[in-house]
Amino acid sequence: MLKYFLISCSALFLFACKNDSKKEASKELNVYTHRHYESDQQLFNFFEEKTGIKVNVINASADELIQKMTLEGANSPADVLITVDAGRLYRAKENDLLQPITSILLNEIIPSHLKDKENYWFGVTKRARIIVYAKERVTPEELSTYEDLATEKWNKRLIVRSSGNIYNQSLMASILVNHDEGFAKKWSAGIVKNMARSPKGNDRDQVKAIFAGEGDITIINTYYLGNMLDSDDSEEVKAATGVGVFFPNQESTGAHINVSGAGVAKYAPNKENAIRFIEFLVSKDAQKIFALSNHEYSVNKNVPMSETLKSWGEFKEDTLNLSLLGENNKNAVILLDETGWK
Amino acid sequence: MKQAGSNTIFSLKNRLFRLKRDSNRWSIITLVVVFLIALPVISIAVKLFDGPGETWSHIVAHLLFQYVYNSFYLLVVCSVLVLLFGVTTSWLVSRFEFPFRKQLEWLLILPLAIPSYIVAYAYAGIFDYGGTLELIQRFMGLQFTRIDIMNRFGLAFVLSISLFPYVYVSSRAFFLNQANNLLEASRVLGVKEWNSFFKLILPLARPAIIAGLILVLMEVLNDYGAATYFGVSTFTTGIFRSWFSLEEPETAIYLSALLVLLVFALILFEKWQRRHIQFTNSKSGNKRIYRKKISKKMQLLILVMVSFPVLFGFLLPLAQLLYWGFLTYSAVFEYQFLLLSLQTFGIAFITATFTVIFATLLIFSAKWNKIGVIKNLSRLGVLGYAIPGAVVAIGVMIPTIFIDKWLIGTMHSIFSYTSGFLIHGTLIALVYAYVIRFLAVAYNPIESTTLKVSNTIPDASKTLGVGNFKTFFKIEFPLIKTGILSAFILVFIDVLKELPLTLILKPFHINTLAVKAFEYASDERVMEAAIPSLFIIFTATIPVIFLNRLLAKN
Repeated sequence: MLKYFLISCSALFLFACKNDSKKEASKELNVYTHRHYESDQQLFNFFEEKTGIKVNVINASADELIQKMTLEGANSPADVLITVDAGRLYRAKENDLLQPITSILLNEIIPSHLKDKENYWFGVTKRARIIVYAKERVTPEELSTYEDLATEKWNKRLIVRSSGNIYNQSLMASILVNHDEGFAKKWSAGIVKNMARSPKGNDRDQVKAIFAGEGDITIINTYYLGNMLDSDDSEEVKAATGVGVFFPNQESTGAHINVSGAGVAKYAPNKENAIRFIEFLVSKDAQKIFALSNHEYSVNKNVPMSETLKSWGEFKEDTLNLSLLGENNKNAVILLDETGWK
Repeated sequence: MKQAGSNTIFSLKNRLFRLKRDSNRWSIITLVVVFLIALPVISIAVKLFDGPGETWSHIVAHLLFQYVYNSFYLLVVCSVLVLLFGVTTSWLVSRFEFPFRKQLEWLLILPLAIPSYIVAYAYAGIFDYGGTLELIQRFMGLQFTRIDIMNRFGLAFVLSISLFPYVYVSSRAFFLNQANNLLEASRVLGVKEWNSFFKLILPLARPAIIAGLILVLMEVLNDYGAATYFGVSTFTTGIFRSWFSLEEPETAIYLSALLVLLVFALILFEKWQRRHIQFTNSKSGNKRIYRKKISKKMQLLILVMVSFPVLFGFLLPLAQLLYWGFLTYSAVFEYQFLLLSLQTFGIAFITATFTVIFATLLIFSAKWNKIGVIKNLSRLGVLGYAIPGAVVAIGVMIPTIFIDKWLIGTMHSIFSYTSGFLIHGTLIALVYAYVIRFLAVAYNPIESTTLKVSNTIPDASKTLGVGNFKTFFKIEFPLIKTGILSAFILVFIDVLKELPLTLILKPFHINTLAVKAFEYASDERVMEAAIPSLFIIFTATIPVIFLNRLLAKN
């Protein structure tokens, strides 16, 4: 019995040790990603087909991946880190986990406010955080800016998800940078006062609640509404068509945007492949799958918008450098806690 | 002075002598096993000396009260609900004969098969605007009355209804094995059934019930997915807030330590409460289960009572998932899911095997070794269940990467060959982490059956010169088989559902169904997560039916 046990143990050990991520450096690429979108797998397959480079993926939250890369240190198999917000990429850079790369192509395609100044990371798709309103009870004329949402006018009419969510944290950070700490704190307190219900659910749930009349306005990311319109559930489609889209701050700073971005790991074993991969991500063909199928905005201006996004029209975006969002994220969270935004 | 000195030396000598006399290879094996299991916990505990991060005072000032309050609320409400669902149902199915009893017996275990965050999504889907309830009411021409379940009580209900089977399984094992003799005796003495249940059976079943309850409570404290979705801040959501949002892993570890202390306090409190009571188990007796015959009316009433948790814990969420699966079937379903199911099944099987081996080794080597301290040490092994999976993952990565780096360095200097990680990022590290996380789940059922085995036969065998190991396989193993199998299946189901550990530690080429479901759900494609969730349920159902057969047989 003991003999069999030992034999099976050693067999398992040998089987488990077959960690071939480093063997053929030139034909592989290891991606650590926070993006869990369906289209991403399609994209990895596409890249594999096109270049013959095999893509190995680890999915987890960006913070967990950053922790993992930190512990792995110089032996880390990670080549590329992909996150769904610029703040986390900034954090990875600060923790010395990324390396700068030189790519004429990337610099040409990606606008400067959507990437790191020293080329440590690059935004690959873009999304805006916008105001969505109940068409029956609100007219677009009543809406103007994010700042306005904290005023008396919207008392008990606003609903929004928890501040545990990174998109709300980034929005808060942008308010913090565009104004100052005192203003941001007052703003957050005003938002909390205007909430029609305690924060819960995800972005899609906020839209449904607005449509059902639990509140009048909400703040969500563009692609969630786009995806609701494509939903298999007719009730979701009904809710999404029943609400209006408003891009705030068009007269001032522009609508708050964020990117899903990628950077090359500091100790990337397959650096060349990693650069090639990021270049591929912003190419026209890839962007069609990467951005369009998820209703995100492309960072490549040669790629047209999805039909849904086109129907919402062009808008002015906040050109604040996204690194600043990462830099101010922690302060933003502290202010959100202090003002009781759950 | 001199006297005292020599006394100390004497007592020290005496102690050393006793240590030498009592230590056998089982003391060493226990120590090795405990060390392996405690290593990740120690790696995290060492970090406590760095103290919390600078936002600690911020957390204390603004958040801690909320975390403590909500966590306690959940502990109390879930305890009440879980005991209500778990104990009543297990008593009714093991005492009375009524229609569909056999089917309900295994259906009552199945709520465990659905990850609790998926149950939370399903419930939200039912009660949401435009949800199933509204559609039904609209279809029947009724005015929509919305029930908001996305709140603290809703969370407690969802967690209780999906976790009560832990209590059901552990208390039923007791009722089936023990209750018959006791009830017969009390009936002979003229005590009414109702009275003997509360006065006799329930107090005696207490260790079994509590063992199940503690597992439930640890899992309740650990929940992240359902709590964030319902907007309830608990200790665990706080751990992730300080790690992810406040950018301080050290503060997260500090909070986890508090959580572990809380669980420890709970266990100690329970032990203290029953400090004067001795539990001895009758080891043999009437094996045939006697079920009471009752009137048709009573049968119907019992049927309704037993069906309630099955309906709300399993059938209702299952129906919602089937509906979503039907809507998204064409877009989501791939044949890869079958392959993925096999892969998940394989991982769960390997893990459950190792966890059960480790738990048994821990229990028996502690039994066979003679040093008291080591006996007590073995109980520390179960703490992994109280720590959030993501934190356990860090605890596993610290030592495994450390050993790996040493191995890589040595190999490089001897063979000048640079390899990748040999343990970290492989199946070994993942299974190791699972074992640590789920040891508590396996430990309890095995320990409780082991207590029932009297020492006379194994002792006799050993007197006749048969070794511990052989005696175990020839005599004790057949006697504790039920416990081992229950443990195996509970761990198996838990691995199928496990998420945070898997996400962080899984090797590149390996995927599980839970990861697939999470990929959709985290992208707010809750409906699309239904298909992989249904596969999880399906994969879990087979062993559950198997477990029930075994339990009923014994």
